[in-house]
Amino acid sequence: MRFEDLLGDGRLWGTIFDGKEKDALSELFDKWEDLQWLKEFFETNWMDLKAYFKITDVNQAIYDTLDDADELRCLIFDIGPEDRPANLFRHLEDYRTYEMTLGREKTKGRATGISHPSWLRIYAIRLDQDAYLITGGAIKLTYKMEERSHTLEELHKMECVRNFLLENGAHDLDSFIEMNQEDDL
Amino acid sequence: MTKAIDLVRKNQTDTPGRWKASAEWRLKNRKWLRYSQEIALRALDKMEASGLTQKALAEKMGCSQQYVSLLLKGSENMTLETISKLETALEIDLIGQALGHDCAH
Repeated sequence: MRFEDLLGDGRLWGTIFDGKEKDALSELFDKWEDLQWLKEFFETNWMDLKAYFKITDVNQAIYDTLDDADELRCLIFDIGPEDRPANLFRHLEDYRTYEMTLGREKTKGRATGISHPSWLRIYAIRLDQDAYLITGGAIKLTYKMEERSHTLEELHKMECVRNFLLENGAHDLDSFIEMNQEDDL
Repeated sequence: MTKAIDLVRKNQTDTPGRWKASAEWRLKNRKWLRYSQEIALRALDKMEASGLTQKALAEKMGCSQQYVSLLLKGSENMTLETISKLETALEIDLIGQALGHDCAH
Protein backbone atom coordinates (compact mmCIF):
# COMPACT_ATOMS: atom_id res chain seq x y z
CA MET A 1 0.00 0.00 0.00
CA ARG A 2 1.33 3.44 -0.96
CA PHE A 3 0.05 6.97 -0.62
CA GLU A 4 -0.04 9.95 -2.94
CA ASP A 5 -0.01 13.59 -1.91
CA LEU A 6 -3.03 14.73 -3.94
CA LEU A 7 -2.70 18.50 -3.70
CA GLY A 8 1.05 18.60 -3.22
CA ASP A 9 0.87 20.26 0.20
CA GLY A 10 0.62 17.23 2.50
CA ARG A 11 -2.96 17.82 3.61
CA LEU A 12 -4.94 15.50 1.38
CA TRP A 13 -3.67 12.05 0.57
CA GLY A 14 -4.91 9.23 -1.65
CA THR A 15 -4.41 5.54 -1.04
CA ILE A 16 -2.88 3.47 -3.82
CA PHE A 17 -3.93 -0.10 -3.08
CA ASP A 18 -1.65 -2.97 -4.03
CA GLY A 19 -1.93 -3.83 -7.71
CA LYS A 20 -3.34 -0.40 -8.60
CA GLU A 21 -1.59 2.32 -10.55
CA LYS A 22 -3.76 5.25 -9.53
CA ASP A 23 -4.77 6.65 -6.16
CA ALA A 24 -8.29 6.03 -4.87
CA LEU A 25 -9.57 9.56 -5.64
CA SER A 26 -8.34 9.47 -9.25
CA GLU A 27 -9.91 6.05 -9.75
CA LEU A 28 -13.16 7.36 -8.33
CA PHE A 29 -13.37 10.35 -10.65
CA ASP A 30 -12.38 8.12 -13.59
CA LYS A 31 -15.51 6.07 -12.90
CA TRP A 32 -17.74 9.07 -12.28
CA GLU A 33 -16.97 10.48 -15.71
CA ASP A 34 -16.95 7.20 -17.64
CA LEU A 35 -20.27 7.11 -19.51
CA GLN A 36 -20.12 3.40 -20.15
CA TRP A 37 -19.44 2.63 -16.49
CA LEU A 38 -22.16 5.02 -15.30
CA LYS A 39 -24.77 3.59 -17.66
CA GLU A 40 -24.02 0.05 -16.57
CA PHE A 41 -24.02 1.04 -12.88
CA PHE A 42 -27.38 2.79 -12.98
CA GLU A 43 -28.97 0.09 -15.12
CA THR A 44 -27.79 -2.49 -12.57
CA ASN A 45 -29.00 -0.41 -9.62
CA TRP A 46 -32.09 1.16 -11.17
CA MET A 47 -34.40 -0.31 -8.52
CA ASP A 48 -32.52 1.59 -5.79
CA LEU A 49 -32.59 4.69 -7.95
CA LYS A 50 -36.35 4.40 -8.26
CA ALA A 51 -37.05 3.37 -4.67
CA TYR A 52 -34.82 5.86 -2.85
CA PHE A 53 -34.65 8.79 -5.28
CA LYS A 54 -37.84 8.36 -7.34
CA ILE A 55 -35.79 8.58 -10.55
CA THR A 56 -36.70 6.31 -13.43
CA ASP A 57 -34.59 7.88 -16.17
CA VAL A 58 -31.08 6.43 -16.18
CA ASN A 59 -29.81 9.24 -18.40
CA GLN A 60 -30.99 11.83 -15.88
CA ALA A 61 -29.09 9.95 -13.18
CA ILE A 62 -25.99 9.98 -15.38
CA TYR A 63 -26.18 13.73 -16.09
CA ASP A 64 -26.80 14.48 -12.40
CA THR A 65 -23.72 12.42 -11.52
CA LEU A 66 -21.55 14.22 -14.08
CA ASP A 67 -22.64 17.64 -12.77
CA ASP A 68 -22.26 16.68 -9.13
CA ALA A 69 -18.83 15.09 -9.70
CA ASP A 70 -17.67 18.24 -11.50
CA GLU A 71 -18.71 20.34 -8.53
CA LEU A 72 -17.07 18.01 -6.03
CA ARG A 73 -13.86 18.06 -8.03
CA CYS A 74 -13.91 21.88 -7.97
CA LEU A 75 -14.44 21.90 -4.20
CA ILE A 76 -11.39 19.72 -3.62
CA PHE A 77 -9.32 21.52 -6.23
CA ASP A 78 -10.12 24.87 -4.64
CA ILE A 79 -8.85 23.95 -1.16
CA GLY A 80 -6.42 26.81 -0.69
CA PRO A 81 -3.54 27.21 1.75
CA GLU A 82 -5.82 29.03 4.19
CA ASP A 83 -8.66 26.52 3.94
CA ARG A 84 -9.00 23.48 6.17
CA PRO A 85 -9.72 20.11 4.52
CA ALA A 86 -11.60 19.34 7.74
CA ASN A 87 -14.36 21.66 6.54
CA LEU A 88 -14.95 19.28 3.66
CA PHE A 89 -15.34 16.13 5.75
CA ARG A 90 -17.66 14.92 8.49
CA HIS A 91 -17.71 11.77 10.59
CA LEU A 92 -18.85 8.62 8.84
CA GLU A 93 -20.76 7.61 11.95
CA ASP A 94 -23.57 10.15 12.33
CA TYR A 95 -23.72 9.48 16.09
CA ARG A 96 -20.05 10.31 16.72
CA THR A 97 -19.64 13.79 18.16
CA TYR A 98 -15.93 13.76 19.00
CA GLU A 99 -12.80 13.95 16.87
CA MET A 100 -10.42 11.03 16.91
CA THR A 101 -7.18 10.05 15.25
CA LEU A 102 -7.72 7.68 12.35
CA GLY A 103 -11.46 8.33 12.46
CA ARG A 104 -13.56 7.31 9.48
CA GLU A 105 -14.82 10.34 7.57
CA LYS A 106 -16.91 11.12 4.52
CA THR A 107 -17.80 13.96 2.23
CA LYS A 108 -20.81 14.22 -0.06
CA GLY A 109 -21.51 15.86 -3.36
CA ARG A 110 -23.24 19.22 -2.98
CA ALA A 111 -25.96 18.56 -5.56
CA THR A 112 -26.29 22.22 -6.53
CA GLY A 113 -28.93 22.54 -9.23
CA ILE A 114 -29.93 18.91 -8.87
CA SER A 115 -33.42 18.01 -7.72
CA HIS A 116 -32.37 15.38 -5.19
CA PRO A 117 -29.73 14.89 -2.48
CA SER A 118 -26.30 13.86 -3.71
CA TRP A 119 -25.46 10.17 -3.94
CA LEU A 120 -21.73 10.77 -4.38
CA ARG A 121 -19.54 9.89 -1.42
CA ILE A 122 -15.80 10.13 -0.80
CA TYR A 123 -14.44 8.19 2.16
CA ALA A 124 -11.33 9.03 4.13
CA ILE A 125 -9.33 8.39 7.28
CA ARG A 126 -8.52 11.42 9.40
CA LEU A 127 -4.77 11.54 9.96
CA ASP A 128 -4.87 14.69 12.10
CA GLN A 129 -6.91 17.87 12.33
CA ASP A 130 -5.69 19.09 8.97
CA ALA A 131 -4.79 15.95 7.03
CA TYR A 132 -6.99 13.29 5.50
CA LEU A 133 -6.28 10.08 3.63
CA ILE A 134 -8.85 9.16 0.98
CA THR A 135 -9.58 5.44 0.73
CA GLY A 136 -12.29 5.47 -1.94
CA GLY A 137 -15.84 6.48 -2.58
CA ALA A 138 -19.10 5.37 -4.08
CA ILE A 139 -22.46 6.18 -5.57
CA LYS A 140 -24.55 5.47 -2.51
CA LEU A 141 -28.20 4.90 -3.38
CA THR A 142 -29.28 3.09 -0.20
CA TYR A 143 -29.64 4.18 3.42
CA LYS A 144 -26.89 1.99 4.85
CA MET A 145 -23.52 1.12 3.33
CA GLU A 146 -23.98 -2.50 4.36
CA GLU A 147 -27.00 -2.86 2.07
CA ARG A 148 -25.05 -3.12 -1.19
CA SER A 149 -21.81 -4.88 -2.03
CA HIS A 150 -20.16 -1.88 -3.68
CA THR A 151 -20.65 0.33 -0.60
CA LEU A 152 -19.84 -2.51 1.80
CA GLU A 153 -16.54 -2.88 -0.05
CA GLU A 154 -15.76 0.75 0.78
CA LEU A 155 -16.15 -0.03 4.48
CA HIS A 156 -13.69 -2.89 4.05
CA LYS A 157 -11.24 -0.62 2.22
CA MET A 158 -11.41 1.94 5.03
CA GLU A 159 -10.79 -0.78 7.59
CA CYS A 160 -7.93 -2.18 5.53
CA VAL A 161 -6.17 1.21 5.40
CA ARG A 162 -6.87 1.89 9.06
CA ASN A 163 -5.44 -1.51 10.01
CA PHE A 164 -2.35 -0.84 7.89
CA LEU A 165 -1.77 2.41 9.75
CA LEU A 166 -2.40 0.83 13.16
CA GLU A 167 -0.21 -2.20 12.49
CA ASN A 168 2.60 0.08 11.45
CA GLY A 169 2.44 2.10 14.62
CA ALA A 170 0.51 5.15 13.44
CA HIS A 171 -1.28 5.75 16.72
CA ASP A 172 -0.58 6.99 20.19
CA LEU A 173 -2.16 5.85 23.46
CA ASP A 174 -4.91 8.50 23.49
CA SER A 175 -6.20 7.73 20.04
CA PHE A 176 -6.04 4.00 20.75
CA ILE A 177 -8.35 4.44 23.75
CA GLU A 178 -10.74 6.56 21.69
CA MET A 179 -10.89 3.93 18.98
CA ASN A 180 -11.71 1.19 21.46
CA GLN A 181 -14.51 3.33 22.85
CA GLU A 182 -15.92 3.70 19.37
CA ASP A 183 -15.79 -0.04 18.78
CA ASP A 184 -17.84 -0.57 21.94
CA LEU A 185 -20.70 1.60 20.67
CA MET B 1 3.48 15.92 13.01
CA THR B 2 1.48 12.85 14.03
CA LYS B 3 2.74 9.30 13.68
CA ALA B 4 0.05 8.66 11.08
CA ILE B 5 1.30 11.42 8.81
CA ASP B 6 4.87 10.28 9.36
CA LEU B 7 3.93 6.80 8.20
CA VAL B 8 2.02 8.08 5.17
CA ARG B 9 4.98 10.24 4.17
CA LYS B 10 7.34 7.28 4.47
CA ASN B 11 5.19 5.34 2.01
CA GLN B 12 4.42 8.15 -0.42
CA THR B 13 4.89 8.09 -4.18
CA ASP B 14 7.29 10.43 -5.92
CA THR B 15 4.48 12.07 -7.92
CA PRO B 16 2.88 14.62 -5.56
CA GLY B 17 0.14 16.83 -6.94
CA ARG B 18 -0.74 14.49 -9.81
CA TRP B 19 -4.46 14.53 -8.93
CA LYS B 20 -4.48 18.33 -8.80
CA ALA B 21 -2.84 18.58 -12.23
CA SER B 22 -5.36 16.15 -13.66
CA ALA B 23 -8.27 18.04 -12.07
CA GLU B 24 -6.96 21.30 -13.47
CA TRP B 25 -6.81 19.78 -16.95
CA ARG B 26 -10.40 18.54 -16.68
CA LEU B 27 -11.60 21.93 -15.49
CA LYS B 28 -9.88 23.70 -18.36
CA ASN B 29 -11.30 21.26 -20.92
CA ARG B 30 -14.71 20.98 -19.31
CA LYS B 31 -16.73 22.23 -22.27
CA TRP B 32 -15.57 19.82 -24.97
CA LEU B 33 -15.42 16.98 -22.44
CA ARG B 34 -19.14 17.48 -21.84
CA TYR B 35 -19.78 17.36 -25.60
CA SER B 36 -17.80 14.11 -25.73
CA GLN B 37 -19.87 12.71 -22.85
CA GLU B 38 -23.14 13.66 -24.53
CA ILE B 39 -22.07 12.03 -27.78
CA ALA B 40 -20.99 8.89 -25.92
CA LEU B 41 -24.31 8.65 -24.11
CA ARG B 42 -26.33 9.05 -27.31
CA ALA B 43 -24.17 6.42 -28.98
CA LEU B 44 -24.62 4.03 -26.04
CA ASP B 45 -28.41 4.55 -26.11
CA LYS B 46 -28.57 3.85 -29.83
CA MET B 47 -26.34 0.78 -29.52
CA GLU B 48 -28.56 -0.55 -26.76
CA ALA B 49 -31.75 0.12 -28.74
CA SER B 50 -30.44 -1.58 -31.85
CA GLY B 51 -28.55 -4.38 -30.10
CA LEU B 52 -25.24 -3.30 -31.62
CA THR B 53 -22.07 -4.52 -29.92
CA GLN B 54 -18.84 -2.54 -29.63
CA LYS B 55 -17.20 -5.03 -31.99
CA ALA B 56 -19.90 -4.51 -34.63
CA LEU B 57 -19.69 -0.73 -34.25
CA ALA B 58 -15.90 -0.88 -34.65
CA GLU B 59 -16.31 -2.86 -37.87
CA LYS B 60 -18.84 -0.36 -39.21
CA MET B 61 -16.56 2.55 -38.37
CA GLY B 62 -13.44 0.84 -39.63
CA CYS B 63 -11.53 1.22 -36.39
CA SER B 64 -10.45 -0.96 -33.47
CA GLN B 65 -12.76 -2.08 -30.68
CA GLN B 66 -10.35 -0.51 -28.21
CA TYR B 67 -10.89 2.88 -29.84
CA VAL B 68 -14.67 2.45 -29.74
CA SER B 69 -14.40 1.63 -26.05
CA LEU B 70 -12.45 4.84 -25.54
CA LEU B 71 -15.07 6.88 -27.43
CA LEU B 72 -17.86 5.41 -25.32
CA LYS B 73 -16.18 6.48 -22.10
CA GLY B 74 -16.83 10.09 -23.11
CA SER B 75 -13.35 11.53 -22.59
CA GLU B 76 -12.07 11.41 -26.16
CA ASN B 77 -11.51 14.59 -28.16
CA MET B 78 -13.17 13.32 -31.35
CA THR B 79 -12.39 14.75 -34.75
CA LEU B 80 -15.19 15.75 -37.11
CA GLU B 81 -14.26 12.71 -39.17
CA THR B 82 -14.80 10.41 -36.19
CA ILE B 83 -18.13 12.04 -35.33
CA SER B 84 -19.27 11.66 -38.95
CA LYS B 85 -18.29 7.99 -38.95
CA LEU B 86 -20.19 7.49 -35.72
CA GLU B 87 -23.26 9.21 -37.17
CA THR B 88 -23.15 7.02 -40.28
CA ALA B 89 -22.51 3.77 -38.40
CA LEU B 90 -25.29 4.37 -35.89
CA GLU B 91 -27.64 6.16 -38.29
CA ILE B 92 -28.12 9.03 -35.88
CA ASP B 93 -27.60 12.76 -36.02
CA LEU B 94 -25.07 14.11 -33.55
CA ILE B 95 -24.03 17.51 -34.87
CA GLY B 96 -25.41 17.62 -38.42
CA GLN B 97 -28.71 19.30 -37.57
CA ALA B 98 -27.00 21.80 -35.29
CA LEU B 99 -24.94 22.83 -38.30
CA GLY B 100 -27.99 22.99 -40.57
CA HIS B 101 -27.40 19.74 -42.43
CA ASP B 102 -29.61 16.76 -42.97
CA CYS B 103 -27.49 13.89 -41.70
CA ALA B 104 -29.28 11.40 -43.93
CA HIS B 105 -27.50 12.81 -46.97
